[in-house]
Amino acid sequence: MSTDAAGELEGLSVFVVEDEALVALNLEDMLLDLGCTIVGPAMRVAKAQEMLAQALQADVAILDVNVAGELVFPVAEELATKGIPIIFATGYGQAGLPEAWHGNTILQKPYTMDDVSGSLSKAVRRS
Amino acid sequence: MPNIDFKQLFHRLTSPYMIIDRQYRYVAVNPAYEKAVMRMLPELEGRSLFEVFPNDGESGKALRDSFERVFATGETDTIAYIPYDIPRPAAQGGGMEKRYWTAVHVPLTDDEGSVAFLLQNTVDVTDVVRLREAASLPYRSYSPETQLVERAREAESAHRSLLAESAEFRRMFEQAPGFIAVLTGEEHVFTFANEAYTRLIGGRQVIGKPVSDALPEVTGQGFIEMLDHVYTTGETRGGEGTRVMLQTASGDLQERYLDFSYDAVRNLEGEITGVFVQGMDRTEAVKTLKHQRLLLDELNHRVKNTLATVQSIAAQTLRAAPDLVTARKDFEGRLVALSKAHNLLSQTAWDSTTMRSLVGHELGHYDGSRISTSGPEVVLNPKASIAVAMVLHELSTNAAKYGALSGEAGRLDLAWRVDEANGDLRIDWRETGGPPVSAPSRTGFGSRMMNLVMRGELNGAVDARYEPQGFACALTIPYSSYGRIKHVD
Repeated sequence: MSTDAAGELEGLSVFVVEDEALVALNLEDMLLDLGCTIVGPAMRVAKAQEMLAQALQADVAILDVNVAGELVFPVAEELATKGIPIIFATGYGQAGLPEAWHGNTILQKPYTMDDVSGSLSKAVRRS
Repeated sequence: MPNIDFKQLFHRLTSPYMIIDRQYRYVAVNPAYEKAVMRMLPELEGRSLFEVFPNDGESGKALRDSFERVFATGETDTIAYIPYDIPRPAAQGGGMEKRYWTAVHVPLTDDEGSVAFLLQNTVDVTDVVRLREAASLPYRSYSPETQLVERAREAESAHRSLLAESAEFRRMFEQAPGFIAVLTGEEHVFTFANEAYTRLIGGRQVIGKPVSDALPEVTGQGFIEMLDHVYTTGETRGGEGTRVMLQTASGDLQERYLDFSYDAVRNLEGEITGVFVQGMDRTEAVKTLKHQRLLLDELNHRVKNTLATVQSIAAQTLRAAPDLVTARKDFEGRLVALSKAHNLLSQTAWDSTTMRSLVGHELGHYDGSRISTSGPEVVLNPKASIAVAMVLHELSTNAAKYGALSGEAGRLDLAWRVDEANGDLRIDWRETGGPPVSAPSRTGFGSRMMNLVMRGELNGAVDARYEPQGFACALTIPYSSYGRIKHVD
């Protein structure tokens, strides 16, 4: 665990969109260990949009790109308008993202806790 | 105009003349012809030339080809030199007589203007040829007559081979696997298009039309500009895997991908007269490549997701296990459950599994006399298959460790059904006769995973109850989560 990052991330509220239960479970544990609080996880695009419509509060979002066969970008656009920094979690790497999102932090699956804390710090500092 | 008797004229001509119809049957011959072929009109009239003078060799073919050209094109055709043996009449000893001829074939039209007859003027040059054959003298000493025949013979053979060569090239171009077209002039008028080209453009007839009229849809796609460039500068232009929208036979526009080149065609003076178009339709190859790319991306996505799932199973197992030996056993058990579900999915090309096969794989290694399973044939999509397999694995492992399957007497009843009203799949897990159970003090991996899978992933419900007679669990999965989704490629 990267302890210095953990301090910086203490209390950070993270919105998670991830359709694979086991992957979501692991991410949840990692985020809890980092001292973050979790919003979600939303496991479908529709569910994520529903949560956004209900005045969702979050400091940063970690979005799986392919959510149960749907692409997550409509959710990403809404988050961007709200000014919430976005991290994309994907097995594809940057190649799986449309060019418009290439500036965003990418969390390549499978990821370690250091990867998660690193990308969170980067995304939060960038905003 | 003086009243000339043309029949008499035909009769009196000193050179041999004859007329045949389209079936090569004799219609008329003059006495000079009768003399030359040693046959009188009654022997010839109405009969085919090839019946009277059969010849299966080169010469027979050359003569027939010449007739065909005249009837097909309506133009005069000349054979400068042709060896054509004719049968000697029995009265003159019979057998074949070696003869050499020159022949001019002129078309004669009927009232409608179509070619109905062919007039042949033929000259027997046998004597002159024999003279040449007899002469052992060098060429320059040949008599002028012999030299003339010699030149005629050479000219004829050169003409025949050119004709044959040109026909051969045309045939090769016509059948070439690649597409070929020849455009002439600054308007790029089609003067040739082979079969592959015609297929490419949906079978349209383009000969004699400028590209912009023949293929209106290519205007604005950059090709005509390229042709202009080649025609004005002589530089070669082309492309690889270039996309073009072309009209099909049914009139729709279709996307094609082409490898092609445009090369300037020049005349003997070196001036550009047109553009030679050639190429290959690469559409299928490009589509296959795109499809492969998609498959690879999909495979990569699945592998990465599976690795992330395995990573999660490992992390969760290690977190909860009291010792490393237990951790290893639990981890392996979960990995095998995941792998079995993958096996089942592989059997249907990642399309689906059934409840029965999943249950069989998860409970198969327990004592069958203590387990009853029942339910209809229910087909599950891949996501639901993996989820149900993992859930069944957690439930059965728990039953074997702490529940009804841990002792000697307990039993497990597993039943599933589809709710007729809404299509929900209801799975009923009921343990009885085991040691007394109570809710665990902390939430372990099994129940966290079940909750997340059932509620989050499958949008369903979990109802776990620790009852006096044993653990029971009711799972509900809506049809929209387990039903097979028709994928559109």
